[in-house]
Amino acid sequence: MENRKANILIVDDEKGLRIGTQRLLQDEGYLVDTAENGASGIKLALEKDFDLAIIDLKMPDFDGLEVLRVIKASKPNTVCFIATAYASYETAIQSTRLGSFGYIPKPFTPEELISQVELGIKQRKLIVDSEKLKKERDENLLEIASEKSRLNTIVKSISDGVLVVNRVGEIVFYNYAALKYLNISELKIGNRAESKLPKKILDLVNKILSSDKILLKTFTLQLELLPENQLVVEAACTPVPHPDGSILGVAIIISNITQFKQIEHIKSQFVSMVAHELKTPLAAVQGFLNILLDDSIETDKEKEKDYLNRSITRLNGLKDLVNDLLDISRMELKTKIREIEEIHLQQVVQNSIQMLEFEIAKKKISVAITLEKELPVIKADVNEISRMITNLVSNAVKYNCEGGKIFIDASAKNNYVWIRIKDSGIGMKPEEKSRLFTEFYRIKNEKTRGISGTGLGLTIVKRIVDSYHGKIEVESEFGTGTAFTVYLPINTN
Amino acid sequence: MTLIAVIDDDPDILDASSMVLKSKGYKVITANNPSDGFKIVKEKKPDLIILDVMMDEPDDGFFLAQKFRKEKISTPILMYTSVSKALGLDFGKNEMVPVDDFVEKPISPDELVKKVEALLHKTKEKK
Repeated sequence: MENRKANILIVDDEKGLRIGTQRLLQDEGYLVDTAENGASGIKLALEKDFDLAIIDLKMPDFDGLEVLRVIKASKPNTVCFIATAYASYETAIQSTRLGSFGYIPKPFTPEELISQVELGIKQRKLIVDSEKLKKERDENLLEIASEKSRLNTIVKSISDGVLVVNRVGEIVFYNYAALKYLNISELKIGNRAESKLPKKILDLVNKILSSDKILLKTFTLQLELLPENQLVVEAACTPVPHPDGSILGVAIIISNITQFKQIEHIKSQFVSMVAHELKTPLAAVQGFLNILLDDSIETDKEKEKDYLNRSITRLNGLKDLVNDLLDISRMELKTKIREIEEIHLQQVVQNSIQMLEFEIAKKKISVAITLEKELPVIKADVNEISRMITNLVSNAVKYNCEGGKIFIDASAKNNYVWIRIKDSGIGMKPEEKSRLFTEFYRIKNEKTRGISGTGLGLTIVKRIVDSYHGKIEVESEFGTGTAFTVYLPINTN
Repeated sequence: MTLIAVIDDDPDILDASSMVLKSKGYKVITANNPSDGFKIVKEKKPDLIILDVMMDEPDDGFFLAQKFRKEKISTPILMYTSVSKALGLDFGKNEMVPVDDFVEKPISPDELVKKVEALLHKTKEKK
């Protein structure tokens, strides 16, 4: 409005007055429209948004007050004047009630009119400015509201729990994940923290709230919410500082660390098992060497030799174990470089039998090999496939009876090549079968006593099979024998 | 003559321990599994039992020790362990683990003998 001319509407049935006023105001720099009766005055006023309107009170068609009412109803910000030669106290009050800004008695001098119009324009300016401010404020509020709701949506949808406690110990913010992890079924903003939070978290929150100086530091603690590592969460509590240096409250982030805990547990179990497996042969060897060194213990030459031989055997076992462990760790880290080539299973099986010739002959075991003539070639690392078959055949020898049998069959079916290694050995009980592929698991009973092994052979087999996207099946009957069947996918490209 | 029963599934440990104990003048009987172990203790009534914690199963030794106590066999038990520290097991001398002392394997002959003598001495004093 500051940069444009104000526009004014004059509604009057008296032509002379209408035109005179128009000219006067135009000379003052205003844009002026005129209407010769009430109806066209209303029409014009509603079409355009006038800054100001001067309405004659007495017109043939409409009463000026009626024109004022209609204009004010739809254009409340148009500043209106009532002009009349019949000024009375009642019409003055009535026109003010209907929203008229002023009352101009006729006849008027140009100065009187102009000073009234100037006042009206000032008023219009105030109205427009305040409208503008109001609109701006509303827009800002809207922005804040949508920002707040966006932030809310984000915080509510994250998978970590978020909870804020203010300095008097009330819960002032939370998301659904927090309820889930802390197993709270009902929580309202303003609830007391001590009635809702686990004691350990509460103690930490109170410690932070009551500390003299703010340490902008996060304090964490772990909570086992369900026993045996079924649900473990970590609560990270951080003070929320006020600009004046005091503490406004504490923000608590709750994350689910169950999986980490479970992995940690598996890892420490594995380490213990490895330690035990390594230490047992060491203890035996150390025991023998201590005896040999101890002058107070009498031994003969034969016994000494026996102890040394047994020490060597244990050390060999230890070496095998370390090699198996290294293989497993290489497989896990996938650092082992594979040399993929075309493999003929016949050859791998023959080589494995050759490697175990001595053990097979010692136990007088007969081996029957039935391989399909046109076995498809598989693409794999020959060392891994031969390790897999050797481990299985070696088990078939170790857990066989004197004079027992081993059957090795292989064929192709659909997308797989399968190879079965079956023995007539001691077999397994169902509960033993289920733990077969676990690291260091070795079946121990009267029949397996004296059979040496690292307890990692089948673990390695399983990992090799898995790495080629194959599968392994076990059939076994206690006292009768065991059959392992490995399926390897045929690589068609 | 003092009789000691050694129960361990590792034949090398059995032999080495027997050798050490025999050289110190003890009489030794051995078993390489829990059921034989129970039998020799019941029949021969040794003065001391040396028992390995892990036999067929990781806690076979504990079960056997508990079985002895249930059967009112109060012979002192010295338990062989190899990974109690690694497993984080911190046994106390309570009813759950009714043994009198622990030895961490491997152990030197001197240490083994010292432990055995101490335990036998303690039992004598009690009587």
